[in-house]
Amino acid sequence: MFSLNKFLITLSLVAITLLPVAAFAGDIGHYGIGKTATAKEIAGWDIDVRSDGKGLPKGEGSVAQGEPLYEAKCASCHGLFGEGEGRWPPLAGGEDSLTEDRPEKTVGSYWPYVSTLWDYINRAMPFPAPQSLTPHEVYAISAYILYLNDLVEDDFVLTQSNLASIKMPNEANFYIDNRPDTSNTRCMKDCKDPSKIIIVESLRGITPEQEKEAIEEASTKTTLSAAAIEGKATYTTSCLACHDSGIAGAPMVSDKGAWAERLEQGMDTVVNHAINGFSGDKGMMPPKGGNLSLTNEQVKNAVQYMIEAE
Amino acid sequence: MSESKKTESTKEYLAGLAYKVPSSSRRDFLKKGVKFSTGLAATAVTGEAISDNLPPNIPSWSKSLGTGVVSTPYGIPSKFENNVIRRTVPWLTANKISSISMSPIQELKGIITPNGLVFERYHAGAPIVNPEEHRLMIHGLVDNPLIFTMDDLMRFPSESVINFLECPANGGMEWRGPQMEALQFTHGMISCCEWTGVRLSTLLAEVGVQTKGKWVLAEGADGAGMSRSIPMDKALDDALIVYAQNGEKLRPEQGYPVRLFNPGWEGNTSVKWLRRLKIGDQPWHHREETSKYTDLMPDGRARRFSYEQEANSVITSPCPENPWGQKGSYEIEGLAWSGRGKIKHVDVSIDGGVTWRPARLKGLVLAKALSRFSLPFKWDGAPALLQSRAIDETGYVQPTITQLRDVRGTNSIYHKNSIHTWQLQHNGEIKNVQLK
Repeated sequence: MFSLNKFLITLSLVAITLLPVAAFAGDIGHYGIGKTATAKEIAGWDIDVRSDGKGLPKGEGSVAQGEPLYEAKCASCHGLFGEGEGRWPPLAGGEDSLTEDRPEKTVGSYWPYVSTLWDYINRAMPFPAPQSLTPHEVYAISAYILYLNDLVEDDFVLTQSNLASIKMPNEANFYIDNRPDTSNTRCMKDCKDPSKIIIVESLRGITPEQEKEAIEEASTKTTLSAAAIEGKATYTTSCLACHDSGIAGAPMVSDKGAWAERLEQGMDTVVNHAINGFSGDKGMMPPKGGNLSLTNEQVKNAVQYMIEAE
Repeated sequence: MSESKKTESTKEYLAGLAYKVPSSSRRDFLKKGVKFSTGLAATAVTGEAISDNLPPNIPSWSKSLGTGVVSTPYGIPSKFENNVIRRTVPWLTANKISSISMSPIQELKGIITPNGLVFERYHAGAPIVNPEEHRLMIHGLVDNPLIFTMDDLMRFPSESVINFLECPANGGMEWRGPQMEALQFTHGMISCCEWTGVRLSTLLAEVGVQTKGKWVLAEGADGAGMSRSIPMDKALDDALIVYAQNGEKLRPEQGYPVRLFNPGWEGNTSVKWLRRLKIGDQPWHHREETSKYTDLMPDGRARRFSYEQEANSVITSPCPENPWGQKGSYEIEGLAWSGRGKIKHVDVSIDGGVTWRPARLKGLVLAKALSRFSLPFKWDGAPALLQSRAIDETGYVQPTITQLRDVRGTNSIYHKNSIHTWQLQHNGEIKNVQLK
């Protein structure tokens, strides 16, 4: 009986001490804030893929299916052969270059896993229209990039079940951070021979002008038409990637001459090319710049902006 | 299928960019000389027309009324400070949407970076996110996957910390040699703010992480779906889910309405516009932790998950943008920081590292934050090689560029934290140099 009484007393003490704790919503970490995520909600956002293939959706795509997709959606920045246009990243080449003075880090020469390629294309490419590709398209484009790197044959089909089994040449060459890797000491006197100091100067002339930039930002013009003002946002999110730098022969936004030349065919033709795509001597324009979610009106206004903007 | 797929590829990395600079962006250094020689000291000496606003005259602004309250409901800096802005190096990246800008640390005082001057790094531009329609989902190896609204997140107990945020590519343009004649471009990929939010460990306790859960995938709501694998130890240590900086809500550039913040770690791990945290039993090896943000070594192998920003420092005055004028008294001043804790000492050398003297640490000296060091100096007009050397509380001593290159070569792009040298010339101007 004694032990039972003791037990009851202990129990009541516990109850007393628990009450105020519960009132403060729990130190043990249960605030009861937030809503349970449903399986459907999770499925919509759960896009990540791991190196063991976990997370890949059902599907497949062949090298042959990937070629036209790559050329329409990727080549304007990454080059027809994965060589990279301008400063956009090359995707192929660079085999055995990692120890060279100018290493070339591409999918084939550097990336450790095929899953990384699939995951990145799926979440972030094409650059102006992320998360717009179907799983089939991602498999096909990934297969084609592997082909550009000589990692698969031209009859290869990339699938949910074979992706993780493809070994990349550079996989074994990554290791976990092992810094600190230097051991300087806190020397205070006679730390080196002053007569042996060699001074290396900078390459002059590559530092951006700091004053000029401030002045340019201060004088922004606002003489655009209503359509051009409407089009500016579309330009910024969907067209700037190429039309700011002239990639793939894109007429640059500030290049009045290049636009005047194109406008000789009439505004309707220019807009038609922007909406439906164009490929010719002057360059390559993917339909709607690769962002098919844009309306025709949005594309038209963006063209208007590029023609008017200074 | 095309036959000639072996075309020469464009080599792309920071270190070799000097060879690719378009001539249009080359700078006229004579112009800069003019800027500095028209400083205050020079004006006094050459005796330009005395302004009506100088003594003994009464200034015009003392004889009139100023602007009223809320003439700028959200205040802006004085128009005389319009040169204090973020800047980018245009030839560094293909375009401005996937690019970086630098904070004007040559102009900043104290240790806090104003919100409008915090450096930017986007992988697919800064999205405009409606906070009412933004959600943070936590799922994976958890007992109770949850979705939080912004209001939900703000109901949890909040914490505020002062920590630096630094891109691991800070200084990365100078692995092969000095390139930039401006502090803003040599060291400006760093900022320091007070960050406010809820501890990630609090949210993880709320969902109940299963024992197999060892890694957290953090994913952004931007067009890059920016994603990084974070070890559970860090998530449970000091990682924060941040919604405010320097007293106000996050700026869009900094991940509005909510971001992850990993104190002391390379900036890209502090994923902005955070939409999802997934708990797993191994890392994901996504693009921004394989293709990028890995450190290529001379033997062709590469370091990955090099999260910590090692101790670093730089003299901010004088610097190329802040030259000295006449002989006389000056303060050698600068910034030091370490991702591993507090700055313990900063030493300054004026002879290129032959002799060193301890500088004074002033103001707040906080772990994983910018700290200010100072050394009063009487300049006799002699040329000097100015350096600073940081030592953090782990005992780590900031290395020389030669020590770094001996281990890492010149192609690792990231984590260049070597002792920086400014060459002070007879005329007080500063040149960016490296010492062998």
